[in-house]
Amino acid sequence: MFELIQKSRRSGLSLIVLALPITLFILLCLSSSTFTRFENLANVNSQIAALLIASLGQGLVAISGGIDLSVGAVMGLTSAILVTVDPALAVPLALAVGVVVGLVNGFGVTLFNVHPLVMSLATMTVVQGMALAVHPIPGGTVPAFLRTMAVSRFAGMPAAFFWCVGAIVFAWFLLNLSRFGLRTYAVGANPISAGRNGIAVIRHKVLCFVLCSLSAVIAGIFLSARVGAGDATMGASYSLDTVTAMALGGVQLAGGTGSVLGVVAGVLTLGLISNGMNLMGISPFLRAALTGVLLLAAIGFQRRETIGA
Amino acid sequence: MTRSTTSQTMAIGHMLQVSGRVILSLPFAYAGTVILLIAAYFMRPALLSPFLLLLIARQAAPLGVAVLGQSLCMRVLSIDLSIGGVVVGVSYILTSGLLPFPDPVLLLIAIVFGIAVGLLNAFFITRLRASSVMVTLAVTLIITGIAVAFSQLRSPGDAPQILRDLVRIKIGIVPLALLIWVALLIPIALFLRKSVFGRYIDAIGANPRAAWVSGIPYVRVVTVVHVMSSLFAVLSGFLLIGFVGVGSMDLGRDLALNSLAAVILGGVTFGQGKGGVFGPTVAALMLTFSFNLLTSLGLGEPAKLMMQGLVIGVAAAAYSVQRKT
Amino acid sequence: MISFDKVTKRFGSNLALCEISFDCAAGSVHAVTGENGAGKSTLMNLLAGIFPADGGEIRLRGEPIAPERPSEARRLGISTIFQELTLLPNLTIAENLFLGREPMRGAMVNRRLMQERAREIMARLGSSLDVDTYCGDISLADQHLVEIAKGVSVDADVYIFDEPTAALNAPEVEKLGALLESLKAAGKLVFYVSHRLDEIFRFCDRVSVLKDGRHVETRATLSLTRDELVSLMVGRVLSQFFPARPTPAESAPVELGVRDLQVVEAGPKVSLALRAGEIVGLAGLEGQGQRSIIRALAGLHPSMAGEVTKNVAGEMKLLKLSVVETVMAGIGFVPEDRKTEGLYLPLSINQNIALGMLPRLSIWKIAPTGRNLIADLMLRMNVRSTSAGQEVGQLSGGNQQKVMIGRWLAAGINVLLLEEPTRGVDVGAKTEIYGLLRDFAHRGGAVLVVSSELLELLGLCDRILVVRQNEIVAELEGAGTSEEEVMQYALTGHAKHSQASPCLN
Repeated sequence: MFELIQKSRRSGLSLIVLALPITLFILLCLSSSTFTRFENLANVNSQIAALLIASLGQGLVAISGGIDLSVGAVMGLTSAILVTVDPALAVPLALAVGVVVGLVNGFGVTLFNVHPLVMSLATMTVVQGMALAVHPIPGGTVPAFLRTMAVSRFAGMPAAFFWCVGAIVFAWFLLNLSRFGLRTYAVGANPISAGRNGIAVIRHKVLCFVLCSLSAVIAGIFLSARVGAGDATMGASYSLDTVTAMALGGVQLAGGTGSVLGVVAGVLTLGLISNGMNLMGISPFLRAALTGVLLLAAIGFQRRETIGA
Repeated sequence: MTRSTTSQTMAIGHMLQVSGRVILSLPFAYAGTVILLIAAYFMRPALLSPFLLLLIARQAAPLGVAVLGQSLCMRVLSIDLSIGGVVVGVSYILTSGLLPFPDPVLLLIAIVFGIAVGLLNAFFITRLRASSVMVTLAVTLIITGIAVAFSQLRSPGDAPQILRDLVRIKIGIVPLALLIWVALLIPIALFLRKSVFGRYIDAIGANPRAAWVSGIPYVRVVTVVHVMSSLFAVLSGFLLIGFVGVGSMDLGRDLALNSLAAVILGGVTFGQGKGGVFGPTVAALMLTFSFNLLTSLGLGEPAKLMMQGLVIGVAAAAYSVQRKT
Repeated sequence: MISFDKVTKRFGSNLALCEISFDCAAGSVHAVTGENGAGKSTLMNLLAGIFPADGGEIRLRGEPIAPERPSEARRLGISTIFQELTLLPNLTIAENLFLGREPMRGAMVNRRLMQERAREIMARLGSSLDVDTYCGDISLADQHLVEIAKGVSVDADVYIFDEPTAALNAPEVEKLGALLESLKAAGKLVFYVSHRLDEIFRFCDRVSVLKDGRHVETRATLSLTRDELVSLMVGRVLSQFFPARPTPAESAPVELGVRDLQVVEAGPKVSLALRAGEIVGLAGLEGQGQRSIIRALAGLHPSMAGEVTKNVAGEMKLLKLSVVETVMAGIGFVPEDRKTEGLYLPLSINQNIALGMLPRLSIWKIAPTGRNLIADLMLRMNVRSTSAGQEVGQLSGGNQQKVMIGRWLAAGINVLLLEEPTRGVDVGAKTEIYGLLRDFAHRGGAVLVVSSELLELLGLCDRILVVRQNEIVAELEGAGTSEEEVMQYALTGHAKHSQASPCLN
């Protein structure tokens, strides 16, 4: 345990972060007979896959000291593009949109010195408007190959499982093995010091925002393919859910602290709560309220230096 | 080019530069309003009739009242995104019929509810030092989640008669709602300019660290600001419910975002310790007018959203560039 | 190797460096010295690529250079060990050492190689720290050691050491000496920024003295005596700078009483008394606890135990140590860093000073404008500005300092706590500020000053309390003591005559 506390300086992992999903899992096993069925677990997996992918991107931005509220809108725009554009162009176009949104966020925050919350709130609104303009009413069909990639099974496992594993492995490589990850921690902890160590801080932060938007695009692709239709407001709850996952996973929004394992734990906690409430037949709107309570509790524990935004 | 024309163009350039700087130093809302009015003159002159302008001003009143609170929050480097949540809560309290009380008592309960939300926000922001955006968004989630879940059980009914009358009454040709707004605006502007409270808000906005170190009652000021903001949101909710006549869970949905846009447009920026009450007020009028213009041009919700976002982003970026130079 | 040619740098209206010109040779240790605010660090920051010069030229081997970024300076072969730590607390020692130039294996950081080389580097400095520890978990002295290790592990031609020994203990300073020798032997140029005379004479071959942003002289250290160097640095007779000390009045009432104050967990206890009419200084080496003590009294640093009493209308009342309470009780605190902690830069002089008059009013009251009081104060303090409506951010350092003090004078407080009252302030304003403080004491106020400039404390204070390891080890008469005596206490904690003062401030 002491080891864990020592290492926690960077990973943000604590007993609570890890124990929360495990406890929930055990509780659900005990209270619901249907929970442990393979079908239900596969379902949980599919439900959280999009959140996990988007949250890993959010985690990167958070560790670099920013925050991105536009992920949900980017998911919505992705969904709108997938069902309105020629199938061959849809995915590249969506990815290109992701890059542009990331660049706008990144440059707004770095070069123009706008608070990341305000900046991403602005892009969120614009992108949401664009999504609604492209595809005002939910519906349409997602390209078939995407649908296959999202809902079929390989070797008995649901496709979502592979999406999750892929995202986790990539994020883990990026944060823990690559030079980029190390520098992200440095930039998040103290951009001035990082700059004096010869790191191109602005470029690095912009890149984090771009990667976050790209992960939102991928999450959007998966979610639309799973649902099988396009919906411009599909991602509406995701911006806050990803942030809640950060807070639950010990990722400090002030920057410099966080880990892939923490993000996974945070997403699992949220996913298990949703699934549990679902199994118990509780209104989905109360679920939103509970997310709010969790978010409030989690950020209440993250004491910061400054007061305000 | 001859020498004299060079110096002439330079002189003109200089003049443009100076006047540009003066215009830039004013809240964007002023220039924006002028541009919008000119645009309307050419595209939809009908919007400029006094009757419609007064109607638009009346329509702007709920936003204008909410903006008063938001501008206070932003001047102490905080943000209140729970305004929409408060309005939904107020709407539910007043119209659900779940609480078996006469209207005046319900109004009182709504006010107490507003104070409670403000205190809750302030507690998390000042004592636990949580991010104000996160806190107020979470609070919004909680309030709307609960209200919507309950409205599934019992759908909201009619608005209290007092509120419906409140917005319908006109004094001369001026709607009462507009007068209420102005009646709030002027004493608040004076209070902020003259009081200890106003001075502290400027100080905290200019340098929160210095405010803390020099013993300004930071926690108390920020708490009062957030309570005031929630109270303005309650009042804004009263006006909205009066307009609509029945309760709705969609009420005030974009109020938080619009108020944010208005405050930024109105010249209140993070970390400057500057910004008044009138800039954001003009911005509230301007935004409402622009939405009417967009609607009259046949553009719907998406265009509105895009404009809002652009306004927030561009204004915030422009201000910080200006601050740097 | 490096030549400065009429190098000039401005910060706003402040001329930080004025036409600095001198040359430095490879294979030598070149000291850059001067008082605080003389421009030493500014000059080195130009070389390190922190900001560009406004005029003149810096040449490296005859080629003009103008690094715009630290990374660019590093590419040119200039490695800097900054005065402020640039370590990241959430990175390990090894990671910190190689941040920005990580050894790679394919797309991955080669951790094993990084750790190995980090161990070698640390061993060269005689440190046995585990290179896998997070830098946030090691002591401040060790952090400085890592910072030095990072700087010298870069293969460069020019090394800049900016006040490297501020937080080091004696044995580490020895190791640093050996390191400097080896760099010199390898034909490198080392800039050694310091105002510790002892180290300048021991480590350095040549010394350039700066004063108020101007170059005074560059000489071989062997051709200089200690006294000559001091007079080059100070360049004036000290006694003219400080207001006369009145004869001490034993009977003056105690304004602020401190008993058994503890500022670190399980640390020593501090007791002191401030009397009306006196100026008391807290002296000591950097980071020995002076700052924690004064900040604890201001309510900004947590105190573990102790009792602080304040004279309220002739009666000693127990004081709760929170910022709001101390200000209400009539205690003002002037922080060292006026830009981030002291002033409201975007607000006017008027607004800044007027804020001092509010603490005892309810927030719902109308605030007094105090126009006459402020005009009076500005006249008395000789604040140079276009008008009382001018933004404080546009004023010079000295005038900003006066505004900060003026805010407390307007507040009508009678105990003033100051950190580094004249940091970054030009000479003329320094004298005026000393005069202001003496005047404040003369009117019955009590002043407590923390300063890293010992000469300032010696000239200004009635009494000097020497702090060492969070404890007051000596109380000395300001008029009767000397640099040597204070330093003796600061270094060893007891009085026993040693040969010379190792440090100027």
